Parts: sequence; structure tokens; C-alpha cells
Amino acid sequence: MNFAATLGLGLPIGIGLAAIGSGIGIGFLGQGAMGAMGRQPDVLPKLQVAMIIGFGFAEALTIYAFVTMFFLQGKIQ
Amino acid sequence: MALALSAFLLPAHPLAAASLAAGQILSALNFFFLEKLVKLFTQAAISESPAEASLLRLRLLLVAGAKVAVVYGGAFALTRWQSLELWPLIGGLTLPLAALFLKAIMLAVSSGPENLLRRAPSTAGSSRNLAKPAAFFLLAGALLFAAAPARAQEPQAAPAHAADSATAGAVQAAEGGEAHAGAGEAHTEGEAHGGGGGVEHLPNWLTILNDFFPKNSVIHWMHENEYLVFAWLAGVVFLGITWFGMRKPTMVPGQIQNAIEWMVESMEDVCGGMLGKHLPKYFPYIIAVFFYVLTMNLIGIIPGFKSSTSTLDVTLALALITFLYVQFTGLRNLGLLGYIDHLAGSPRDVVGFIMLPVMIPVHILGELAKPVSLSCRLFGNIFGEDTLIVVFVGATALCLKAGLIMLAVPPMLGISALFMLLQALTSIVQALIFALLATVYLYMMLPHEEHAHGNEEHAQGSSH
Repeated sequence: MNFAATLGLGLPIGIGLAAIGSGIGIGFLGQGAMGAMGRQPDVLPKLQVAMIIGFGFAEALTIYAFVTMFFLQGKIQ
Repeated sequence: MALALSAFLLPAHPLAAASLAAGQILSALNFFFLEKLVKLFTQAAISESPAEASLLRLRLLLVAGAKVAVVYGGAFALTRWQSLELWPLIGGLTLPLAALFLKAIMLAVSSGPENLLRRAPSTAGSSRNLAKPAAFFLLAGALLFAAAPARAQEPQAAPAHAADSATAGAVQAAEGGEAHAGAGEAHTEGEAHGGGGGVEHLPNWLTILNDFFPKNSVIHWMHENEYLVFAWLAGVVFLGITWFGMRKPTMVPGQIQNAIEWMVESMEDVCGGMLGKHLPKYFPYIIAVFFYVLTMNLIGIIPGFKSSTSTLDVTLALALITFLYVQFTGLRNLGLLGYIDHLAGSPRDVVGFIMLPVMIPVHILGELAKPVSLSCRLFGNIFGEDTLIVVFVGATALCLKAGLIMLAVPPMLGISALFMLLQALTSIVQALIFALLATVYLYMMLPHEEHAHGNEEHAQGSSH
């Protein structure tokens, strides 16, 4: 099992796993935001902005895995 | 910032770092003495009693003498010190100048619009509006420019970070692929070929210029450091738009002024909710970062231009500036002892003191994780969006080359356009997140309520 094969197997799996976590996080965020928007529609703009910002944070963790993939994918030769 | 630059250069060129620090110290001393001189001079000119005036003039002479001795003597000693390098010395000399500019512009960045609304329009100085973004991207450009030669040296010297050398290798491989592509319209196919070793980039104006004038050294330098050129371009664009919009501010605003005021006031609302009464002190930096990152991100959507934030260097420079500013704010507001107390999680009872050896490394690690996460988040998002567009535009080019026009034009172009819309959204959101995180870090550094302190710091540290 050489290094390139291990990287080639491991990197996409890593990104996929990171995406699972981010997906769950974004789902929770969206659930809370939708619920709050439904209960109190007059604060909808504020909640929308906060939701988008929360999406950005939760997305960042998958982006870390993505960045790691880009740094290592040159070594798959 | 001089410390950050010196830290960049120190592994490769210790002499360059020393000359940078020496230049910075010399220039700072110069300005310090100049400030004292100006103060004494004006005080002597406006003072009432002649005895006080003559005393002030005596002090003026003494300070002038001290300045001549220290500054010019120091400059003479520096020229005598043979092993100094010229460029870092000049860089160090200009850095406090740039810092002064930044101070001057900090008055303008956001206190511009609302002061224009509340005071007479004639008191708003247009030159101050011009200077503020200029200083910001001058600083960023200085940081990047000093970092670039150090980064280029790394594939030859021992690489300090595997990440940086891999980025340099990837960029060079992509540029090598682009150089093979030949001139004219073969670009997209060429980069689809050349993207094997590294990561693909879409061509921009500099690549095209480089192909038309291959021997021109200026264009070659611009092509090598294209992220720097586009960073400057983004600074010029943002500077130009805000200057042009806020030139003659009126009570009933025109279009550009309205847009700028809307953005600034929305940011003010969000950041003011967090910072409260500290807002005027820190808001200039936050809004400057927001506008600069926003401009840099949005420029990449226009075909032919490239977002500078799609390279880790630029985002790391911005994150480091933010990190240093936050730490400096913490040190200045809390004092040294308060800062260490803040790092220790504010121990108030016996349990807090027992946990001290655990909490200090945890908090230091949390603080160090902040610039890393800031830079990687922005870099990853913008670079990922760029790569997405590259993939789809490359697929379109492949389809066109293979003659499958019906396959290429509707689906591929449609998907490319859709992803460009997503790119626009991500650019705006990521710029907002960068600025908001800077606000949050500043807020955490300011003195705030203590009872939930340990918990929320722990939560913040563990969420990275």
C-alpha cells in the first residue's frame, strides 16, 4: 500500500466525512432559523442574516478538509 | 507588522530581517522626534507669556538636537554597517509611514459617511477619503511584497511549511502549464492539459499580456506575482469608487453615495450590536477589511480578472494583520497583566488557579488557531469557487473543441453561469464573515462580563 494510493483513497473520503459533519451542522442551523422565522416573522431579516453567517461558519470546516486536499493532491504521482 | 515580516524573512535571510527591524526603528524614531518638535513649535508660537515661550524654544532646540543626533547618527551608522540589505531597509523605513497613513485614514473609513450626514458637508475632506484605503492596501501590498521573495526562496531553501511550498509548487506548475499553452484562444484547453501536476487557473489579462510580450520583464514580473497586481487593482478600484462616490456628499444622496452609506450603516448596525460603545475606535479597521475583501472577491467573477484572495498568501496576510491588531488591542486595553489574566481564563477562585497550567496553553492555542481559521476559510471558499468555475468552463471548452456545440452551449454555459451566481453569493458572504469574525475577536478582547467568561471562551476555542 504505497503512499500515493493511500492518499488517493483517503483524501476524498476525508472530504466526504467533513461534509457529513458540516451538513448536519447546517441542517441544525436551518432548523432553528426556520422555526424562529415561523414563530416571529417580523424579525425575519435579522434571522436570515444570522442564518447565512452561521452557514458560512459551518461550511468553513469542510473547507479546511478541502484545503488539505489541495495541499496534498500534488503528491499523488 | 514589522515583526510578522521579520518572522517571514528570518528563516531564510536573518540579515534582511535585522535590516527591516532597523529601518522600522529608525523611521519610528524619526517620526517620534518630529511629533515632539511640531508640538513644541506650535506651543511656543501660541504661548502667552514670553518666559514660557523662551523655555519652550529652549526645549525645542534640545529636542531638535537630540533628533539630529539619534536619527541621523543612526542613519549614518546604518550606512556604515556593510552587511545591510537595501530593500528590507527601505521597507522598514516606509512601514511607520504607512502606519501613519493608516491612522490618518482610520478617521475616514467609516466616520466618513455618518459624519457627512451629521455635520456640514464642507468639512469632509476628500483627500482623507482618498488616503484611507490607499494606506490599507499599501500595507497589505507591503506585507505581501515582502512575503513574496521569502516565499519564492522556499523551494530552494528548506521549506518552512509544507503548505507554502506546495502552494508555490502548485502555482508554478499551473503557470508552467499556461506557458505551454501558446498564444491566443488555446488558453482554456492548454490549462486543461497543464493542470495535471498542480491546480488549474483560468487565464487573466496578465497571462494574455505575457503571451503577447514574452520578453518584457515588467509584464513577466506582473505575471509571476499576479495575485499582488490584482490585490493592488482591487485596492485602486475600491478606493476609486468610494472617493468618487463620497466626493461631494449631499444630504439627499446620489446613487453611489447611497450604496456606500447603506453598506457602511448595515455593518455599523451589526458590529455596533456587539461592540457597543467601543465602535468608533475599531469600526474603521473592520469596514476597511470588509470592503477590501469584498472588492478582491468580487473582482474574480469578472472574466479576465482573478481574485487575489484565491491564494493563501493574501488571506494569510489579512488574517495576520487582523490577529496582530486584535492582540495589540487586547494588550492596550487590558494591560499586560490583564492580558495574561484573559489568557488564563480569568481565574477567580481556587479551581480557576488550579486549572491555570491547563488553561493558558489551551487559550494560546485558541488564539493561534484564529488567524489560521480566518485565512483558510476565506482562501478555501474563494479558491474552491474559482476551481468550480474552472472545471465547468474547461468542460465547455472541451465540448466546443470536440465539436459538440449542442452539448456545450446550453448545459455547460448554463451551469457555469449558475456557479458564477453562487460565486458572487459566496464572495459577499465570506467577506462579511471575515469582517464579523474580526469584530467578534475584538469584542472578546475587550473587557466584558466575567461570569460566563470561562465557558464562552472554552466554547469558542473548541469550536475551531
